[in-house]
Amino acid sequence: MSAWACRGLSAHQGPFHLGPIDLELGRSEVVAVIGRSGAGKTTLLRTLAGFLPADAGSIGRDGTDLTTTPPEGRRAVYVPAGLALFPHRSVAGNIAYPLELAGGRADGPTVGDLLDRFGLAPLADRRPSTLSAGEQQRVALARSVAADPALLLWDEPLGALDLVAREALLAGLRTAQAGGGRPIVLVTHDPAVAAAIADRWLLLDGGRTAFLGSADACVARPPDPFAARFAGYANVLVPDDLARETGLRSLVADRAGNGGVATTPFIARPSDGEGGVTAVVDRRTPTPDGVRLTAHVGTLALELRAAADVGDRIRVGDRVAVNDDGTVVVPIGPTGV
Amino acid sequence: MSRRTASAVAQGLRAVLAGSLLALFVLPILALLLYPSLGRLLTEAGDPGVDAALAFTLYASGLALVLVLLLGIPLGHLLARSRFPGRSIVEAAVALPVVVPHLIAGLALFLVVGPGTPVGAALTRAGIPVFATIWGVILVMVYVSAPYTVLASELAFRAVDPRLLEAARSLGATPAVAARTVALPLALRGIVAGAVLSWARAVSEIGGFLILAYTVYPSGPYTGPVTSPLSVYIYTVFQIDLADAAAISALFVLIAFGLFVAVRLLERFGRLPWPSGELPL
Repeated sequence: MSAWACRGLSAHQGPFHLGPIDLELGRSEVVAVIGRSGAGKTTLLRTLAGFLPADAGSIGRDGTDLTTTPPEGRRAVYVPAGLALFPHRSVAGNIAYPLELAGGRADGPTVGDLLDRFGLAPLADRRPSTLSAGEQQRVALARSVAADPALLLWDEPLGALDLVAREALLAGLRTAQAGGGRPIVLVTHDPAVAAAIADRWLLLDGGRTAFLGSADACVARPPDPFAARFAGYANVLVPDDLARETGLRSLVADRAGNGGVATTPFIARPSDGEGGVTAVVDRRTPTPDGVRLTAHVGTLALELRAAADVGDRIRVGDRVAVNDDGTVVVPIGPTGV
Repeated sequence: MSRRTASAVAQGLRAVLAGSLLALFVLPILALLLYPSLGRLLTEAGDPGVDAALAFTLYASGLALVLVLLLGIPLGHLLARSRFPGRSIVEAAVALPVVVPHLIAGLALFLVVGPGTPVGAALTRAGIPVFATIWGVILVMVYVSAPYTVLASELAFRAVDPRLLEAARSLGATPAVAARTVALPLALRGIVAGAVLSWARAVSEIGGFLILAYTVYPSGPYTGPVTSPLSVYIYTVFQIDLADAAAISALFVLIAFGLFVAVRLLERFGRLPWPSGELPL
């Protein structure tokens, strides 16, 4: 049974309209909200949190309608992109805030427990402004958990973290979620985060749901070019690209969807002048298994790769032959061309 | 003239102009402090009339400040956080006491609460006679000084990141609790700065007192001897003896300076919860 359910949810912020959105969240589910800037990701989170009124539709938790419940009554903790740590309180003071509001909970964790759980005990007396970005994120996470939320809403929680800090916080998010069996909806621009922690991806486009499903489903058949890029494909060729570059079309057209085609890097080898698709190399980047090449066919940029022995013979400015041997090619969009 | 020379001349000119204004600020106060002898200062400090006017003024200005904070902070918060029709009219009304000459403000207050007016008569019947009492002094002080607290509060509340208030609410705080636990502590520094300005403005008032409370008789919370607000008292003494007036003035400047220092020390070494740095006094 789902813990949270939005049905036909619509809202607006200024001239921007969100929805209708249908979304059900399981008890321990993590949903990554992805999409271009201005797609409505933050609007969705703010509407779920209660800071934007719903124009239509409903938000419910365990059968209770929360559509018009003010933010403080929803138990949906919203953490904005800037984290919004209280600058006049210490780390411990920030974490204590929701506990003070609740008048202390006999059964819940104490400030000390949370400081320990999130590795913040040595920083307890520090002000947020003196912490690193990763430390601040952990404080925001600990403060959110202190509020014993029924839903965590995180807007770009891993904005500016190095890899180590990201892994630490991903672990923290999993801990926070596992402890209370609470769903998490997080906005992220980081495919690695979405792939690592999210059970489902919600792709928004122009305020509407463009895709809602597993990361596997998104990778197997990206719903649109943005999703294809997000899923990690190196080349995203929309129908206009294929119409313009006839050589490429011959290479991949039979596998294109109505949104075009997404591919891992094509294979490059030095051109022997025998025809086929050729590209001119603009940039050459060595990788552990060969070289990665950025090249152009006409006005279209393409990502290519070559094994080490072949790549050694390719230089910037060279014309190379392009083929799809070993390249993964998937259609974009729900139906064929 | 080379560019470097022109730049040096411009810098010199700026230093002279800025220095002239600073000298205008500082020299009269220095002159005032140096004019009376220490003996004269001590004599005035022990004078019952001076003490009464001084104590009365500090007492009345303290009560006025409490009222200014009670009334001014909510208005500042309203102006910072709410949109409502007629908002520009409210803002203009807040600025009114600053732009209206205070003798005229005193006259206007007299027409509303003076003896013989319906409001004045009703207040007298209610045991709050305004004319020639501490009530009149407080009324004038609140009128002339509250705008500084309102405007400083408005700016201070506006500077609080609204996302912090949203975070508080998301964590379970009602709007009122978020305002008290997040907005107020973060705005406190600006509010204190406004309050200090309000207090300074209140004790320096004279125009309104000349009309409404030239002489103050015991009434309500003031049970001391018949006296005057200090500014009026000093002006009265000045008409008789410059040296006495200067000594009383110097005494008051020293007390006011001591209060400013106390607020600063409280900020630096106390446990006041504003985020960091010093008071913008």
